[in-house]
Amino acid sequence: MSDVLAVNAVDLTKTFGPLTAVDHISLQVAQGEVYGVLGPNGAGKTTVLRMLFGLIRPDSGVLEVFGRSWPRDGVRTLDGVAGFIESPKLYPGLSGRRNLQLLAGLDGLDGATATRRVDEVLDAVDLLGRDREKVRGYSFGMRQRLGVAAALLRAPRLLVLDEPANGLDPAGIRDMRALVKRLAGSGMTVLLSSHDMAEVEQICDDVTIMRTGQVVYHGSIAGLRDRAPAPAHRLTTTDDDRAAALAGARGLEAEPAAGGLAVRGDEKALDAFIADLVGAGIGLRGLAMSETPLEALFFMLTERAPTASAASAASAAPTASTGPVAPTASTAPAADQARHAVTSGARR
Amino acid sequence: MTHAATGHDAATGHSVAAVATHTAGHHAQARRPGTLTVLRWEVAKLAAHARARYLLLGCLIVPPVIVAVFTGQQPPSDTIYGRHIHESGLADALLILAFAHQWLLPLLASLVAGDIFANEDGHGTWKTILTRSASRGQIFAAKTLTAAGFNLLALLVLAASTIAGSLLIVGTQPLPGLSGQLIPAGTALPLVAAAWATAIAPLLGFTALALLLSVLSRNPTAGVAAPVVLGFAMQLLSTLGGLDLARRLLLTTGFEAWHGLFTQQRFTGPIVQAGAVAAGWAVGCLLIGYLALRRRDVIGG
Repeated sequence: MSDVLAVNAVDLTKTFGPLTAVDHISLQVAQGEVYGVLGPNGAGKTTVLRMLFGLIRPDSGVLEVFGRSWPRDGVRTLDGVAGFIESPKLYPGLSGRRNLQLLAGLDGLDGATATRRVDEVLDAVDLLGRDREKVRGYSFGMRQRLGVAAALLRAPRLLVLDEPANGLDPAGIRDMRALVKRLAGSGMTVLLSSHDMAEVEQICDDVTIMRTGQVVYHGSIAGLRDRAPAPAHRLTTTDDDRAAALAGARGLEAEPAAGGLAVRGDEKALDAFIADLVGAGIGLRGLAMSETPLEALFFMLTERAPTASAASAASAAPTASTGPVAPTASTAPAADQARHAVTSGARR
Repeated sequence: MTHAATGHDAATGHSVAAVATHTAGHHAQARRPGTLTVLRWEVAKLAAHARARYLLLGCLIVPPVIVAVFTGQQPPSDTIYGRHIHESGLADALLILAFAHQWLLPLLASLVAGDIFANEDGHGTWKTILTRSASRGQIFAAKTLTAAGFNLLALLVLAASTIAGSLLIVGTQPLPGLSGQLIPAGTALPLVAAAWATAIAPLLGFTALALLLSVLSRNPTAGVAAPVVLGFAMQLLSTLGGLDLARRLLLTTGFEAWHGLFTQQRFTGPIVQAGAVAAGWAVGCLLIGYLALRRRDVIGG
């Protein structure tokens, strides 16, 4: 496998009128990597992927895919690249098989080669029995699978999936994740966009987290995990006011939440706090983790104003190449530093 | 999905990993499609479109029905060749041609062409086809050639059905000329066919206009309706006095260029002029349409 990066985006910017959808984004994806682009809706993930596919032209910056770029190489930039943006769209009046046959034609496949390849990919996503039905009769999950089949038709080296589990039921989500894992296991480079931290955590090696068009974290999932704050728990007690006071005494952050208390702190303090509750005669009606540590960090990076822990997490970023940055006015220079560092230091 | 997700039965099917890693051989076989291949793709899509089939069927069936209806009616004597429709089937063919100019040919031109780009917006499929191996230029060329080819086919079917139906139902009598002369049927038949052929240039001009509006509007309804409305507007404009130059530059003027074929002294200048005007419209519309598609950011879908 060559050391040419599968994706090399440097300082990409895209504006739509007054809105800056992507603001000087840089990201590098090595071949064979399973890479996540994470962020809430509107963060600019899909815009980045659309630029990768040539659907949108960046206002500035460089974007190379396997060393090729749109201005220089045109549609050859997509050689070895496949995937879908948001939900896959196909012709509803045609059957799944006919759609794939037409797309095979657009990929230069014809005759027996196209037929064989269509059979293979339909079989791989378990649509062979339904392939002659019109797509308008397909369920959402079937359309997603047909979209994956359409991508596999190109036998890609880089598979780009934008929110592939979006809109699926729990079983569909489980199966889609398993499918993506299997594809990743085959040695294919996978670029996965999601707003679901748990999804990215399960599948990806490295991640870029975006917020309002900017990078707020770039690095490994393991590195992200190291910086994650204590998990949040939701408590239901017979006396929330006294429980909150006891939590404070143990150094836990406690605040009212829907139907009880949200408590955040390390697990030893939480154990001691539970014992305190029992000792104080306060009934404990419910206790559940409301955010995993990574989810908590994700929300902290993408939604919340910087807290003491976030600021310390940001400042704790030991190397210039990775680390979370709270993208507020007060920390904007830090965000810029991190972005530029990503550009210069994240090549693998 | 579970089947796929769990990797598949190796004995009966293709595992995801096997399909995914089926790259080296496949890449060797795959190639960038030529424009002819992309054209085949577009034609196959159009062939699957029920509207296109019904349109061709309508072009085949409706003209003889209209001729049959005419035979039992008072002739529309205020329309060109209207008063001769009971005298010669060839007059019926020319009367239908004159009626077709009003709105039918602009509509015919736009039914497929006005929809062919906007349809991708309607289905959200731009992002599907533009992420394959064909360039925007190839897709633009394929759609343009498909729309133009279909419209020529529809005109051919309409003309053939009209002429054949008229001759079969009314007869092959000599045709009165526009200067009062009588044109023998053997001479008039090729002239009538030529008159229908003069519609090709303005039809292609309207096709290009519909293609442009399809690209710009991104809305199938607007792409189909707008050329028809513009055709009416051109006809209204051509009735105003003092606009001779503007009138010559209108696409609709070319639809009347055949009149010179049926005078005592034939003149073909308007036909040449109609061809030049239609070519100007076509080049302008296609150039703007191509640049618009090429520069467009595909955001929706």
